[in-house]
Amino acid sequence: MFLQVESLRKSYGGVEALQGVDLQLEKGELLCLFGPNGAGKSTLLKILATLLAPTSGTVRAAGFDLEEHPEAYRARLGVVSHQSFLYADLTARENLAFYAALYGMDDPDGRADDLLERVDLAHRADAPVSALSRGMQQRLTIARALVNDPDLLLLDEPFTGLDEHAAARLRDQLRLLHDRDRTVVLVTHNLRRGLESATRLGILSRGRLVYLEDRDRVDPAAFEAEYFRLLEVR
Amino acid sequence: MTLVPKPREFPVSAAAAAVLLPVAVGLVFFYAPVERTMGVVQKIFYVHLALALTAFWSFGVSAVAGIGYLVRRDPLWDARSATAVELGVVLTTLVLVTGSLWGRPIWNTWWTWDPRLTTSLILWFIYAACLILRASVDDPTRRATFSAVMAIAGFVDVPIVFLSARLMRSIHPTVIRSDSVGLEPAMIATLVVCLAAVFALWLALFRVRCGLHRQEAALDAVDARLDRAGA
Amino acid sequence: MNALRPVWVVFAKDVRIELRRRESLASMAFFGALVLVILSLAVGGGRRVAPETGAGILWVAVLFASVLGLGRVFAREKEDGCVSALLVSPLSPGALFAAKALVNFALMAAAEVVLVPLFYVLFGRGLAGNPLPLLPVIVLVNGGFSAAGTLLSAVAAGTRRNEVLLPILLYPLLLPVIVLAVRATGGVLAGGGLAAAAEHLSTLAAFCVIYAAAGALLFPFAVREG
Repeated sequence: MFLQVESLRKSYGGVEALQGVDLQLEKGELLCLFGPNGAGKSTLLKILATLLAPTSGTVRAAGFDLEEHPEAYRARLGVVSHQSFLYADLTARENLAFYAALYGMDDPDGRADDLLERVDLAHRADAPVSALSRGMQQRLTIARALVNDPDLLLLDEPFTGLDEHAAARLRDQLRLLHDRDRTVVLVTHNLRRGLESATRLGILSRGRLVYLEDRDRVDPAAFEAEYFRLLEVR
Repeated sequence: MTLVPKPREFPVSAAAAAVLLPVAVGLVFFYAPVERTMGVVQKIFYVHLALALTAFWSFGVSAVAGIGYLVRRDPLWDARSATAVELGVVLTTLVLVTGSLWGRPIWNTWWTWDPRLTTSLILWFIYAACLILRASVDDPTRRATFSAVMAIAGFVDVPIVFLSARLMRSIHPTVIRSDSVGLEPAMIATLVVCLAAVFALWLALFRVRCGLHRQEAALDAVDARLDRAGA
Repeated sequence: MNALRPVWVVFAKDVRIELRRRESLASMAFFGALVLVILSLAVGGGRRVAPETGAGILWVAVLFASVLGLGRVFAREKEDGCVSALLVSPLSPGALFAAKALVNFALMAAAEVVLVPLFYVLFGRGLAGNPLPLLPVIVLVNGGFSAAGTLLSAVAAGTRRNEVLLPILLYPLLLPVIVLAVRATGGVLAGGGLAAAAEHLSTLAAFCVIYAAAGALLFPFAVREG
C-alpha cells in the first residue's frame, strides 16, 4: 500500500471539516476526488501536503509517517494548488532552478531546462513570470511541482482557468506520471476532466468519504447521476 | 459537542479575596506605622508592590500557558494564556498609576525613568501589543498560536529589559536588599497580607475570566456549526 | 546535504529579487533619509546636538526605516502562496527563519550604508571621535532586530493588518535594544571610542542570542496555518 490514510479528523473552532476519512491507494493510482464546496476536499489535501496538522488520525506514504518523518515525506511530495507558488519577479528558469536547488538537486539549472522542455516553455525561459499568460503560468506551476520527480503528487483544482489546449497538456502530463508509476491525488469540480484521467473515483461530502470506486467499474453517466444524487441528499 | 463546565458559583479564591482585601486595606491605614521621611504617602507602597509582583507573575503564567498551548494544542491553554495577559496588563496599568502617585510628592515628578518603572512600562507595551494582536486575528487556531508565540517572545525579553533598565539612574527605594530587609515587622506583615489579598483577587479573576473565554469559544463553535448547517 | 545550503538558496533567491526590483531597499533608504531630515529640522536645523541625542536620532531613523523592509520580506512570500511551497519542501522551518533573518540583516546593513554617512553630514558638527567603533554596535543591533523582526513579521503576515501590526508588535520588544544602542552609540559619538561601547555589547549580544533561539523555536508555529 503506497498511501494509507486512517480515521483522519480535523476540526477548526468546533466545526469538523473532516469526520474520519479512511483511504488507501496503491502505487501508480490516480485518485480523483469530487465534492461540493466545504466538503473538506481542500482540508484533506492540505493535511496530505503537511500544511495542516490533523486533529487525529494518521497518514503514511511510501513507508514514511507524515508526523514522524515530515522532511523525508516532503522530499517525495509534489503539490499544485490554485495559487501558482511562483515568484512573479523571477524568470521561468530562475523559478524552477530555485526550487530544484531547494530540493537539493545537483544541477538545478539543467533540471530547470529539462522541465521547461517538458511543458513546452523553453522559448519563454527568460521571461519573468509576471509576463507569462495565465495558461503558461499554469504549465510552469505543473513543472514546478514535478521538480523533485515526486512519488506522490497532490493537485487542487488544476483545471481551473485552463483553456482546452492547456487542459489537454495537463492530462498528458498526468498520463505520463501514471505510466511512470507515480501516485496522484486530484481534487476538482470538473467531472469530465476528472473522469478521463482517474483510475479511482471518490466523493467527499460533509467531511466524509461517501463514495470510493475503481474507475473501470464505473459507468460515467451512472457516476454523474450518483454524484448529483449525493449532492442533493446532503 | 464541546461542553464547557460551568465555573463553581463562588470559588474559594473569590471568598479569600473578599476577606483579605478589606483586611489589607485596614492594615494599611490603621496598623502599618507612618514612615519617617516619606510620611503617609508611603502607604501606597503596600498596594504598589503587591500589584507589581502579581502582574509579573501573571506575565510568567501567560508565557508558560503559551508553551502549554503550543505543545498540547488545547484551547484551554490558550484561554489561560489570554487571561493572564489581560490581568497582567490591567495590574501593570495600576502599578504605573500607583507608582506615579507615589512619585509625584516624593520625587516631585509624575514620571521618571527609574529602572523598575521603565521595566514595568516596557512590559506594559509588550503585553498590550499582545492584546492588539488577539483582536486582529479571527481564526481561533491562528489567534491562539500567534498569541502564544507573542506571550513567549515577550517574556524572554524580560532579562534584557532588566539589564537595559539598570542603565537608568535609580532613585527608586530599594525595599528588599540582599543583606537585610529595610522594613519594620509591622510593615512586613502588612505587605504580606496585601500581597496575599491581591494574589487571591488575581486567582478569582483568573478563574472567572478563563471560564468566560471558554464559554465564548464554545458559543463561536455553536455559531459556526449553525452557519454550516444553514448553508 | 549540507545544512547551510538551503539557507543560502533561499537567501540568494531573495537577494536576486531585491536586486531586480530594489523596492525594499529604495523605500528603506528614502524613508530613513526623510526621518533624518525631519529630525534635523525638528532640533532646529543645523544646530549642534549632544552625542546622546545624536545617537537617538540615528537609531530612530534606522529602526523606523528597517521595519518597512522587514514587512516586505515576508509579505512577498505570501503573494502567490510561495510560503506554502517552501513549507511542503524539505526545507526546515529553522532554515527558512535563518534565511529570512539574513535577508533582513543584509537589507538593514545596505540601508545603513546610506543613512550613517547622511547622519554625519546633517549632525556631524558637534560630534567627536572616530566612527569606526560604531561597527560592532550596528552589527549587533541589526542582528537583534533581524532575529526578533523575522519572527514577528511571520506573525504579522498571518493577520489581516500586516503593515499596522508589525511595528506595534516589534517595537515594544526592541525598547531595551534602543536603550542599549543609544547608550553605546552616544559614548562613541562623544569620543569615547570602542571602550565606551564595549560595556553594552555583551547585553546586545545576549538579545541577539535569545531571539535567534526563540525565533528558531517559535517560527515553525508562526508560519503554519494551524
